[in-house]
Amino acid sequence: MARRLLLILTLFAGATLCAVAAAIPAGKVRVDICEEGLPADNSWPTAALVTESYDEDLFGLFELPQKYVGTGVRGDRPFPTLVRASAEVTLPPGKHRLLLRARGAARLFVGGKVVLTTPFDQPRQFAVGNAGELPVEEQDNFLDLGPGYRFAPPGNREVWGEVEFNGPTTIVLETLVGGMELKSKKPFRPELGETVVAVALNGTTEWKLLSPGARQVRYTDVDWSAYESERRCRLAAMNTAARVARREAAKPYWDRRRESARAWLAATPATPVPALAAGFPAHNAIDHFIAQRITQVQAETAPLPKGAVDFHREIKPILEANCFSCHQGAKVKGGLRLDDRAAAFKGGKADGPAVIAGQAAKSPLHQRIVSTDPEEVMPAKGERLKPAEIALLRRWIEEGAVWPEFAVSHFKLTGLSDDLTFLRRVSLDTVGVTPTEPEIAAFLADRSPDRRARVIDQLLADPRWADQWMGYWLDVLAENPNLINPTLNNTGPFRWWLHESLVDNKPLDLFVTELVRLEGSERFGGPAGFGVATQNDVPMAAKGIILSSAFLGVEMKCARCHDAPTHAWKQKELFEFSALLQTRPIKLPATSSVVMDNLRLGGREPMIEVTLAPGASVAPAWPFATFCDEATATALAEKPDHTRDRLAALITAPQNERFAQVMANRIWQRFMGRGLVENVGDWEKSVTSHPDLLRWLGRELVRSGYDTKVIARLVLNSHAYQRATDATLAATSPLFIAPAPRRMAAEQLVDSLFAATGKPFSVEAVNLDVDSVRTIDNALDLGRARRAWMLASTSNERDRPSLMLPRIQAVAEVLEVFGWRGARPDASNGVREVSANILQPALLSNGTMMLWLTRLSDDHDLTRVALEDRGLDALVDRLFLRLLTRHPTAAEKSFYRDALTPGYTTRVVAGAKATEKPPARRKFVGWSNHMKSEANSLRLEEEAAARQGDTPTARLEPEWRRRFEDVLWALLNAPEWTHIG
Amino acid sequence: MNRRQFLARSAALAAAASLPPTLRGAETTRFVHHPKGKADHCIFIWLGGGMAQIDTFDPKRRGNAKTKPSVAGSDYAPVDTAVPGVRFTEHLAQTARLAERVTAVRTVNHKLGIEHALATNFVHTGRPVSGSTIYPSLGSVIAHERGAVGDNIPAYLLIGYPNVSRGPGFLGAKNGYIYLVDTESGPAGFTPPGDIDATRAASRQQLLAPLQGRAAAESAVGDYEVAQREALRLAGPDFMRHFKLTEEPGSLRQRYGGEFGQRCLLARRLVQGGVRFIEVSHNLNFINGAGWDTHNAGQLNQHVLIRELDTALSALIIDLETKGLLDKTLIAIGTEFGRPGQFDGGGGRGHQSSTFSLVLAGGGLHHRGAFGQTDDFSGKPVESPVTVPDFHATIYAALGINPTKELLNASRPVPITDGGKPIAALFG
Repeated sequence: MARRLLLILTLFAGATLCAVAAAIPAGKVRVDICEEGLPADNSWPTAALVTESYDEDLFGLFELPQKYVGTGVRGDRPFPTLVRASAEVTLPPGKHRLLLRARGAARLFVGGKVVLTTPFDQPRQFAVGNAGELPVEEQDNFLDLGPGYRFAPPGNREVWGEVEFNGPTTIVLETLVGGMELKSKKPFRPELGETVVAVALNGTTEWKLLSPGARQVRYTDVDWSAYESERRCRLAAMNTAARVARREAAKPYWDRRRESARAWLAATPATPVPALAAGFPAHNAIDHFIAQRITQVQAETAPLPKGAVDFHREIKPILEANCFSCHQGAKVKGGLRLDDRAAAFKGGKADGPAVIAGQAAKSPLHQRIVSTDPEEVMPAKGERLKPAEIALLRRWIEEGAVWPEFAVSHFKLTGLSDDLTFLRRVSLDTVGVTPTEPEIAAFLADRSPDRRARVIDQLLADPRWADQWMGYWLDVLAENPNLINPTLNNTGPFRWWLHESLVDNKPLDLFVTELVRLEGSERFGGPAGFGVATQNDVPMAAKGIILSSAFLGVEMKCARCHDAPTHAWKQKELFEFSALLQTRPIKLPATSSVVMDNLRLGGREPMIEVTLAPGASVAPAWPFATFCDEATATALAEKPDHTRDRLAALITAPQNERFAQVMANRIWQRFMGRGLVENVGDWEKSVTSHPDLLRWLGRELVRSGYDTKVIARLVLNSHAYQRATDATLAATSPLFIAPAPRRMAAEQLVDSLFAATGKPFSVEAVNLDVDSVRTIDNALDLGRARRAWMLASTSNERDRPSLMLPRIQAVAEVLEVFGWRGARPDASNGVREVSANILQPALLSNGTMMLWLTRLSDDHDLTRVALEDRGLDALVDRLFLRLLTRHPTAAEKSFYRDALTPGYTTRVVAGAKATEKPPARRKFVGWSNHMKSEANSLRLEEEAAARQGDTPTARLEPEWRRRFEDVLWALLNAPEWTHIG
Repeated sequence: MNRRQFLARSAALAAAASLPPTLRGAETTRFVHHPKGKADHCIFIWLGGGMAQIDTFDPKRRGNAKTKPSVAGSDYAPVDTAVPGVRFTEHLAQTARLAERVTAVRTVNHKLGIEHALATNFVHTGRPVSGSTIYPSLGSVIAHERGAVGDNIPAYLLIGYPNVSRGPGFLGAKNGYIYLVDTESGPAGFTPPGDIDATRAASRQQLLAPLQGRAAAESAVGDYEVAQREALRLAGPDFMRHFKLTEEPGSLRQRYGGEFGQRCLLARRLVQGGVRFIEVSHNLNFINGAGWDTHNAGQLNQHVLIRELDTALSALIIDLETKGLLDKTLIAIGTEFGRPGQFDGGGGRGHQSSTFSLVLAGGGLHHRGAFGQTDDFSGKPVESPVTVPDFHATIYAALGINPTKELLNASRPVPITDGGKPIAALFG
């Protein structure tokens, strides 16, 4: 495919076609992509230049290989692009029916002559469709070419005719992809739809994709669907190869970067791995660091007298709720920190030491909270402390203000988790779903002593690894595409670049560099889409906030409109950083500045300051000299005079140790449930629990060439990761004595429910413009989701039934109550709220999605399992393994066996078959007709159907089937489902 | 954590009600006098698409959509209301008779432009979209400030489609809504599927019991298990009975009219059940295709929509009053913007945010039929302009919430409205 053919095609001269035909490989369809020499006015080109070619088996196209630019990021092809598929085809002599179908204008040459054409886009169609007013009745006119005929999907045009064949014939299909809407001069999405030539031989009614070789595929719903999935895998492999090729071209520069990282490592002191403390288990160096810290802290901690106030349990929550907003971290009000023992005892500017152990009345902390002077009393804003809280603080000070560094009640490690618990945990942490029956069997069958390490290696190599990280990065980088009319601080769908980066396991420095360069496609998945923030007065400031928090652990949200009151960073510094992204100075708009006079209406002095005047121009500059010297960029950047390249180099330089440590900490937090720096996106507000381990991990990340999986492998193999959970812990022990059970992420939960039950994840295309009447600026097609992260908000701010996607909504509502966000207008640090609320179990017990999962339809994999005859004991065992990754207890086994016993032996209905759906042509609802009454009614029918769920199988006797469904419901609602043990 | 503690923590969602209203956060009462109403509930009716004020609550001289060129003005005749000098259009005749209980605020305006999603977000949250935070909706703020009225009932119900504009934003999931898309389907997550009758629901719970028993008390899984019991209880008859419209007399159901009216009736039942805030969407778009977004041919059947609103709104006002609930229940009608007096090429109307009507009724306010004055074609305010934050402040004040209060977004104080001031004339 990488072949670049420079061949001018004169497209209406039959003679040229023959010349081209000579180059077609025998038995194959050659697909030529022409990006040059194309007219912009929706007409056929007179001379187009082939820029890329590849081979196909059949005349059946639905997607082109991806175009990549830069170091392998998604780019756009020109609008339009000509696609030409040519082959030498031999059909039996005679007159055969041919079908030409395509999304864009298409024409079919047989033996050099045009025999079929479909039209160019019709301006009226798009004007009416854009207003949403295409009559639904127009869909009554459609082509039906006999039994089994696959009806055209929305937005495709088709035409058929009879053609006489006699011996080998050259067939050429041409189509223009992504034409221009002539009135607005904006392009359409570059979609092929189903660009197909099919044939029904003389005397037959069966349609097949036209084939030049041995491969034969019937053009029916079922066979097309299988063909499409098979070809998608091939396209993915071609795309991967294309990215590899782009990266190969950039290799000299990145080799130099690796070289300089090695030099830096050699020139800077290493962090030695401590000797293993006596009595501690260790799988690798990580456990040495962990053991060392535990023994250190243990030595410094005196046991708390019985009945004494427990700082972490009783005092810290009061400080957190009332004081931390101003008195936590490096920059604090009055110079007083209350998040650190030493600092609190040292005190602030006004009062001196805040706490005087044993003397509450003399302690300013106490004086301030009881003060009646409105200028003195704390908290300065908000409600006063409650009398009980004040009393508790007083008693704590009187008792000596005992303030242990860590909230741990004991120092006894838990043992290794059992094998199945480990397997469930590590599978969810790496591939985002619970292990399958075969995966469980293979692991249990492996008796080698290093089987945990082996399964970790397998899982790290699994492509689903990318899926598991998607939700995380979509959150952290605030990907926020809108299916229609982007307005709500929307970005482009750069999810596709993210996913490919994870599939490729791109080194993190390259990953960040690609993101910061903002190259490639804005609307179709390149990092340029990250650079967009619709209806935002300074998009690059929004992006600066995201980048600094994601990769440097620097929180600058507040600096968007004023100097941060409790962060070190001033507004000017954020705008300097953002100007690097902007590549030129940014003028501060008045809308990005707080009007201080409004805050001075009364009371105390405002808590914030504005030191950058609206209208001021801020030039690009690196504000983080504390992390690394700006001059580093000159030596390291690929294009040192380009500000985005400089920024990328400064963030990712090995000299900037902060970057490697922030990334190592993020990886650590994902697997361990707690960061070494707890607030992964805002390091100013956290104390580092294990500074040596953090530095060591950062250097290991640099040494690995910024390879996430190297750090992941270290963490997953550690004893600390593999220890059994302590169920009484709300959060993982700060000393990593034991992990706490972690609530599954929303995507893990939903993906696992579908994977474990084997119910197909079948929802609408994530697209409201299904027949493509809208131009690229105001409608996206995010395709068919196969995993939860691929969904997006259905964006129905318009509140129109016709714009509802009921099946997506049924899944999205579950995702959302578990913390997923369909719309991400603001960035998150990647750590979601995990507390329980009643909507979570509500939707898992009575929601529409769970109805699908607990209804034994013919396409449900547990229907197949239930039909197998292996006995009830085996059935109960399998259910527990598949769903909960554990064996049932003896009591559970007999309980559920008893529940399933009545009717078990007669459960199979003799002679009943799985229902087959005949091809049905259903009218569609899209943007193009959504303002029509009929479209609204149609959608309500779809919604009712979604709520109804699939028909239960006829192969199981109904009463027993319901029994089995109820057991399934109970297992899926087991509270343990929602947590990683 | 035991059950009591758990319920305390997940307060506003389920059992908020059993606790005193939570008023934590910064209370800035130092310098502003603000009116304080006595309403306990709010029914927020949403007319998605942009209600044409000139064809409803702010009639002007007659225009004509059908002539070429068309003549700007109201598409319908005006009628007098019970308040002297205040007129609505003819399709609001029933509401007109109740105008002493109603105020059409005719001078609401914003500069957020005329894109539906953006304006919808603004009218729900009172703030432009920000890249650094997500602001809570009116319903979530009220749920957060006042919790549910009744015991063991959610504070915020939505009859319509979920979207981020209706969500809790930085106030967090516990201040979100429970939703249903229509009166037939019941609330998502609490309505057992059709094939699960009470017997089967009970046998499912028996099958679940041993697995629930494994969840350790005082643990994260245990918290979930407590929430699960609560959810299953809500899916039972005590909570679900509020959704049984069949319990209402047939004559009353008839007075409320079609599906939209039934939603309003359901809202009244939920008020009686102790729900604090109910958003009711009037998105019966099959009536004219466009719903309230009456471009082009959407205008043709607009009067059917208006009459449906009129029937339901007037029935709701009378019903609440009959049951002694009107002074305790503020009805507010929201829409993202209005429409110009001029017609578009297809005989419908485009979008206009320079002035539009939002309506208040009941809630113990001093109603006056209409508030504010617009120009000849209802194109802009000429007297007493009202911002969207002012409208929100009025709703908060009516519900006894200090409209100058500050909420806390993590540590950052966020004024409850963006400088909004209640419409003083509506408070005694």
